[in-house]
Amino acid sequence: MKSIFLIILIPITGFLFTVSLQAQNATEIVKRADDKMRGEKSSYSEWKMKIVRPTWERTLSFKNWTKGTDKSLVLVTAPAKEKGQTFLKLDREMWSWNPTISRTIKLPPSMLSQGWMGSDFTNDDLLNQRSIVVDYTHEIIGDETLENRKCYIIELIPKPDAPVVWGKIVFWITKQDDLLMKSEYYDEDEYLVKTELAHNIKNMSGRLIPAQFELIPAEEDNQKTIVEIGNIQFNIPIEDSFFSIQNMKRVR
Amino acid sequence: MKLIKIARRNLWRNKRRTAITSASILFAVFFALIMRSFQLGFYDHMIKNAIESFSGFLQVQHIDYQDDPSLEASFPVNDSLFQLLESVDGIKTVVPRVESFVLASTGNQTKGALIIGIDPVKETELSDPANLIVHYRITKDVLEQLNNEDRVPQSIKEKLDLIAKKSYTNTGTIAMDLDLDEKKDKEILDVIGEISYFPGRYLTKDDDGVLVSDRLSRYLNLTIGDTLILFGQGYHGATAADLYPVRGIITIANPELDNKLIYMNLASAQYFLGFENRVTTLAINLYDNSEKNMLATQNKLNALLTNKTIVVKNWEEFNEVLAQQIEGDSQSGQAFMALLYFIIFFGIIGTVLMMIHERKREFGVLVSIGMRKTRLATILILEMIFMGIIGVVSGTALSLPILWVLHNNPIRLTGDMAQVMEDLGFEAVMPLAWIDMYVFWQGLIVALMVVLSCLFPLRKVFNMKAIDALRA
Repeated sequence: MKSIFLIILIPITGFLFTVSLQAQNATEIVKRADDKMRGEKSSYSEWKMKIVRPTWERTLSFKNWTKGTDKSLVLVTAPAKEKGQTFLKLDREMWSWNPTISRTIKLPPSMLSQGWMGSDFTNDDLLNQRSIVVDYTHEIIGDETLENRKCYIIELIPKPDAPVVWGKIVFWITKQDDLLMKSEYYDEDEYLVKTELAHNIKNMSGRLIPAQFELIPAEEDNQKTIVEIGNIQFNIPIEDSFFSIQNMKRVR
Repeated sequence: MKLIKIARRNLWRNKRRTAITSASILFAVFFALIMRSFQLGFYDHMIKNAIESFSGFLQVQHIDYQDDPSLEASFPVNDSLFQLLESVDGIKTVVPRVESFVLASTGNQTKGALIIGIDPVKETELSDPANLIVHYRITKDVLEQLNNEDRVPQSIKEKLDLIAKKSYTNTGTIAMDLDLDEKKDKEILDVIGEISYFPGRYLTKDDDGVLVSDRLSRYLNLTIGDTLILFGQGYHGATAADLYPVRGIITIANPELDNKLIYMNLASAQYFLGFENRVTTLAINLYDNSEKNMLATQNKLNALLTNKTIVVKNWEEFNEVLAQQIEGDSQSGQAFMALLYFIIFFGIIGTVLMMIHERKREFGVLVSIGMRKTRLATILILEMIFMGIIGVVSGTALSLPILWVLHNNPIRLTGDMAQVMEDLGFEAVMPLAWIDMYVFWQGLIVALMVVLSCLFPLRKVFNMKAIDALRA
């Protein structure tokens, strides 16, 4: 009797164990990939953004400082007319500063789904990026080779009470080096909303990371946004006071 | 000739009967005319407000502008395009415009606003904002001062509520609202004007300031010299943000526009939106505003334009809402008039039938002494025509002075009615249309009804048996 019990029990526990191990594993991979781009403690980076529309293109440059999971400051450096605008993200709130009108504006929740600086990135994208680790459950659903790199395909399903907009996210993360090569964002009805692709993997500041990202909205033809890293530094010392409304007006 | 004489004598023989029948025709013409005139006058007024003195009868637009009125659907302009358009016969003005929605703010209050970049000189030929600048404002303080002012008689103080919170471009309108005579009460008006005076001016050629519509300025609590913050998205999604001094407040008849309009210099708007040398529309007004001429000019212009990404649209195309509003209202108005005619038609038939019945014996005698029925019928028709003419002519004559007076002095609604109209987006005025072809048409329709109403009595005459008629 006992032996039959054991025969049944062992595979069940074994199965449960592997499932939890695998889930743990997927979360770990996502966290490592996320940390890799962001720096474990802090980061400073310079970016170039190209907005591509059916009839025109526009380029702008900005600098980005981040610290920990919830502090981020963005300074627009070009074109001349928009230079000096800053965006501050603290926890779940976001402010913008415009030097021409000398006004700080706290972005209302209704503006979070609007494009940042007219691009395909929404304000919400800037704000909520970190929640991919905490607000979702992760599961490896397969593997695939992208740009000659073997990747895990990881599905992210939001936790029941998570304050997120996506119904599902699918990540392609390389088995080696934890590089996020591709992500697909789906809405509540599981329709594809946008795809993000990473290209041009190279060594920057001692890390192997993609230097270019491409964001393609699913519903719009001939429309995308490309961002490219010019310079990036990881884990540099930045004071907490750097991420303040006062500093938005001073930072250069 | 003899028949006409007999018909006339028949009418004069029983004056009361003639009067009753003519009167029913008179009222038919009178009411139909007044009603139609109100309708047409209202449409004219709407077109004048929204089209002639705002959007223009024709507009040059980018082909996508109609479906997606954004800055992306715009086009570059140069002098040769203006010259090309202005060279066409019958074109009064071509006015460049840049239109976009932005947020207007004073720091504490923010509201969505429509900015229109204009050429301050050219624009005077179209919407003429110079004429809309507020020079008198009846604020709470002004009211209090007026109430304490000895030079204002008590009888007028009691009426001051009528103009409370309003803004005026001239004292003439104040006089109208207070029911004063501009010449006779000049002194009082001067006092009111002096106390309620509000500075403000039109934009100069290279002005960097803005004109703000009255209702919007009150919402934002703006006055002359204040700084207005404009914030929004410019061409190609660039951030548009800047500060502008307020030069003047303008009052616009259409309340919807009055709630959101900001005028600025074309160059300022182009710089603000990163919109160099581009415009969203060219507004065109014509010397002859008739539908026929408008469509002909539109076709001519479209043929002339070599750039196929731009197109000329007429106001019925780019302001479909107004066109449909007028169309729908006109149809329901016509249905109502048909009902009115129907009732009047049966009124006329009723009187005619009674007349026939009354004169049955008379007809019997005439037929039995040898009068042919056709002649009898002709006399009857002549009688009806005479009565018809009397009715239509007197009805028209009676309504023309009223039309004339109310056309020149439109009824201005006040109080709740005015509020209702303004909430619907109309100016609270009920003008009458100027005397035009519609007067003729109303007369003709009633005349036709008179002829139709003859048919039944004629049938009776032809079927009449003299012997029965004599016994009646």
